[in-house]
Amino acid sequence: MAFVKLNDLEIEVEDGTNVVEAAREHGIEVPHYCYHSGLSRPANCRMCLVEPHVFFPPAGAIVPDRQLATGCTTVLRTAPPDRKLDGKYDFIVRTDSQRVQKARADILEFLLVHHPLDCPVCDQAGECDLQDYSHRHGYDKSRYLEVKNVPPKKDLGPDVLLYATRCVVCTRCIRFADEVSGTGELGLVHRGSHDEIDIPRSHEGVPLQLLDNKLAGNVVDICPVGALISKDFLFKSRPWFLEKANSVCSGCSVGCNITVEYKADGLYRIKPRFHEDINQHWMCDDGRLGYHYVNSDDRLQLPLKRVDDELTPTHWADALSVITERLSEIETEDIVVIGSAQGTNEDNYVLQQFAHDVLKTTQLGLFGQLLGEEHKFPQFTIEADKNPNTAGARTILGSANGNVVLEGDALWEKVSGAKVVYLVSGGSERPLEDAEKAALESVDFLIVQDILPSEVTQLADVVLPGTTFAEKDGTFTNSTGWVQRIRKAIDPPGEARVDWEITQQLAKQLGGEMNYHFAGEIALAIAENVPGYSDTSHQKIGDTGIKLAGSDQ
Amino acid sequence: MVQERRILYEHLDVPDINTFDVFRQYDGYTRFEKAIAEYQPDDVAKMVMDSGLKGRGGAGFSTGLKWSFVPKDIKPCYLCCNADESEPGTFSNRYVLEKNPHLLIEGILICCYAMGIETTYVYIRGEFTLGKKMLDAAIKEAYEKGYLGKDIRGTGLNVDIYSHPGAGAYICGEETGLIESLEGKRGQPRNKPPFPAVEGVFGKPTVVQNVETLCNLPFIIGNGVEWYTQMGPTYADTRANPPTPDPNTGTKLYCISGDVNEPGVYELDLGLTCSELIEVAGGLRGEEVKAVIPGGSSAPILTHYELDTRLDFTSLTLAKSMLGSGGIIVMNETRNIVDCLLNIMKFYAHESCGQCTPCRWGTPWVRDIVQRIADGNGRKDTMTRPKFGVAENGRWGDTGETEEIYEDLDLLESVANNIANVDTMTWNTICVFGIAVSWPAVSYMRKFRPEFEATIQEGKLVTLPVAEATVSPEENYAYQQRFVPKEFADL
Ligand SMILES: Cc1cc2nc3c(=O)[nH]c(=O)nc-3n(C[C@H](O)[C@H](O)[C@H](O)COP(=O)(O)O)c2cc1C
Ligand code: SF4
Ligand code: SF4
Ligand code: SF4
Ligand code: FES
Repeated sequence: MAFVKLNDLEIEVEDGTNVVEAAREHGIEVPHYCYHSGLSRPANCRMCLVEPHVFFPPAGAIVPDRQLATGCTTVLRTAPPDRKLDGKYDFIVRTDSQRVQKARADILEFLLVHHPLDCPVCDQAGECDLQDYSHRHGYDKSRYLEVKNVPPKKDLGPDVLLYATRCVVCTRCIRFADEVSGTGELGLVHRGSHDEIDIPRSHEGVPLQLLDNKLAGNVVDICPVGALISKDFLFKSRPWFLEKANSVCSGCSVGCNITVEYKADGLYRIKPRFHEDINQHWMCDDGRLGYHYVNSDDRLQLPLKRVDDELTPTHWADALSVITERLSEIETEDIVVIGSAQGTNEDNYVLQQFAHDVLKTTQLGLFGQLLGEEHKFPQFTIEADKNPNTAGARTILGSANGNVVLEGDALWEKVSGAKVVYLVSGGSERPLEDAEKAALESVDFLIVQDILPSEVTQLADVVLPGTTFAEKDGTFTNSTGWVQRIRKAIDPPGEARVDWEITQQLAKQLGGEMNYHFAGEIALAIAENVPGYSDTSHQKIGDTGIKLAGSDQ
Repeated sequence: MVQERRILYEHLDVPDINTFDVFRQYDGYTRFEKAIAEYQPDDVAKMVMDSGLKGRGGAGFSTGLKWSFVPKDIKPCYLCCNADESEPGTFSNRYVLEKNPHLLIEGILICCYAMGIETTYVYIRGEFTLGKKMLDAAIKEAYEKGYLGKDIRGTGLNVDIYSHPGAGAYICGEETGLIESLEGKRGQPRNKPPFPAVEGVFGKPTVVQNVETLCNLPFIIGNGVEWYTQMGPTYADTRANPPTPDPNTGTKLYCISGDVNEPGVYELDLGLTCSELIEVAGGLRGEEVKAVIPGGSSAPILTHYELDTRLDFTSLTLAKSMLGSGGIIVMNETRNIVDCLLNIMKFYAHESCGQCTPCRWGTPWVRDIVQRIADGNGRKDTMTRPKFGVAENGRWGDTGETEEIYEDLDLLESVANNIANVDTMTWNTICVFGIAVSWPAVSYMRKFRPEFEATIQEGKLVTLPVAEATVSPEENYAYQQRFVPKEFADL
């Protein structure tokens, strides 16, 4: 620990912390552009200048003014006993001196020299470091009278546009592509005040390589200004109109922490949220841009039942009574209950309780997205398991006495010829393989709980409209044993209902004694009954998650 | 009349001195042989330290001291010879490369021996095609004669030299920009520390040395420290406490251009005055000296009051200027200082590497302001600001009074100072290119303020007579004194 005098505070910081971070921990802003804790530190923007006091001049010496230092590269360390300042400090630094304030304002003045000041039409307005720092640290008028540079707007790749006029040349985007994705599509062209971010191009300007990798969207997040813009979000909303919910991506078993940004009419964008051990600052574009199905007009909004071989809309009471009628007719042995790796731990817990306690069956199955591709980058991996909760669903479905959880071929064998199958799908448009299709076709009475019409719902006798990750609370357990919370952002469309609520309703109608009121209550039951999950109440999980004891990775 | 003292350039004009055999006839490589025969590597390093040799590339940093910063236990260690000579007004390295490349190789060998270096890169300015050709031929010959390569002359010493052409960027002369460029990256200076001596080429300790600096080594070894230190003045170093001798030893290859009758490179002892130098270069062309740039285009300008200033590292530092690369540009009464500044600012705006904010966008801004003034579009609006000038203590400072100044001149000064502040000698940039921009900008404007004011006033370039173009000698003098204790001012 280094003992540091920061402005008028005396603070202890871990050795190796830089001034920007040390100050941030104590609520002091040191404005910065090029510094990003997930990237290397070129110290090129010069925004983070601070005034260090590092030595005592010999008495009477004529000491010129000290250089200001960049806070991002000024690292605080314990000094040897004979090098303590004022006899006790390892470092003394001011972030609020007049010189620092002037230097900041001067740098901001330079940053705005060529800036088009087009905030009214810029997507970043409202969450722009240039706006915010100018407001807090800058001058209120410009002294620049000369002609501004107007570099062209560029299309860099499938989702990323460059409004080059707004670029502050902090090179965060370049370093991301070099260091995190390792794809290196970005670089600087030209020199000096004509510096421009670009992709490789021929002399005629034809792109030779696009910013087209599965992590590309992160450059939009880390661009401190409105230079890199996501086409997906372009002109859709002012950021301050968006509500935010902390959640977890449902795109694969990594379980990236995210912020779901939404309005009443649906999701607007997904942004990664920092988690040191899981996704750091990043997320992939599959997860980022894959949310559109949530907003889809095709979403199942009413229960459907098969009438004359056609799925026709009906109301909940009718759909549920059709099911309970059928279920009460048959033997326990003939029922297979299938949970989903897309569903939350809470959904699956209620489902297994329903199977075990009400239907008295121990035959459960686990359904989910098909195995996809793994993508490895120098500092990030997208996993092949495209379900967010395989680990959790597997454990929880199998948590009651005697439960058997079947997967893959064994499951489809079981399903073949079954009288009744209750399949909670919960995934988006999952295609079926031939064997799966054949098995499901052979089922007498197929109940499917899903969110979108799909090959699975086409085979169903009753379809119950469920909910996506954005419409419910709950927890997912990722591949490394982190149990993390998802939070309800928007209401489900039409009459769609939260999955565990549907299951609980069925249970109640069949005489079951379940009576959960909210997901957190189920989590407490999980904590009580599922081995390993004893710590996972929603309160304890909070925003950072809890790592299951015994999960080593 | 001052005479040239040719040491580095002594045999420059000998026919075929660029060939091994002729170079050998003139003591070629004997100094290197003397070094390995008579001295241990540490002795050589000590001789260089004792000689007081200062880097000739610009910063004037003590070569021996620089060597002492190199960690001994990290290998490999590299030598980078900086032959990117691109400072406007500077052209002395070029002659060595083109005419006497074996001298450089001998210097490199001595440095390599002293520092235990086996690999040297010579980074040659891309435009020096002839220089590179001659050096490459000399390197080839030296390999053939067994002065480069493995087990040199049976001593067990291995030295390889690679020459590497630059691609036309001034900033690649800055030592860390050079290293980045050498490594195949964009020529952008690095943040320091770490300095190259600790972390340079490929992350290894690296000695970066100018061509002229290295060419001094054979003579220090050949003739001894005592002989070497007799050339040039020695001052008390006012920056040290207590003052220590600040040596300005040896000769300097002064590149004299501009309004003199015989421009060219002159090798002279350090410490001659401006006027003496002009005499050596055939005298002034024209009636009167209006200004002298003493150390390449980035050096603060000297007025006709300052012609007695000695052209050595210490004296020029005390005069708030610098010897820099030794490129001396003399201007007579016909020159317009606004126009000169414009010329220089165009160069810097073009050459900024663009890495850091103040320099990337400040340098072209300064250029544009000067351009506007030179075009006659300087704003005639004035503003009131605190008057800096000769303060009560006789030094530059806030006089407590206010002054009227043209807004554009205040703007010019302020923008330049925001890149790198010439008054406090602090910069907000990554490299000292920032200082190289604001030094001329601020010094030209302050010292020749009447000419700038007349140009704005008349709405066209106005060249004032020499006596009227500059501020008063007192103001000029005070301007120099900002950080120098008065006791030392009379050196
Ligand atoms: C903008 C800039 C340009 C420079 N250009 C050169 C150059 O062209 N040649 C050179 O030898 N040194 C140049 N230098 C100085 C080098 O950074 C470095 O100090 C020098 O090569 C060290 O060698 P020396 O100690 O032998 O002088 C330049 C420095 C700066 C800041
Ligand atoms: S585009 Fe954005 S991230 Fe990239 S250099 Fe410009 S401002 Fe920085
Ligand atoms: S890596 Fe997986 S969890 Fe992370 S954003 Fe992509 S799909 Fe979502
Ligand atoms: S001061 Fe100028 S030349 Fe030096 S690193 Fe910054 S932008 Fe590049
Ligand atoms: S954040 Fe420190 S220099 Fe950019």
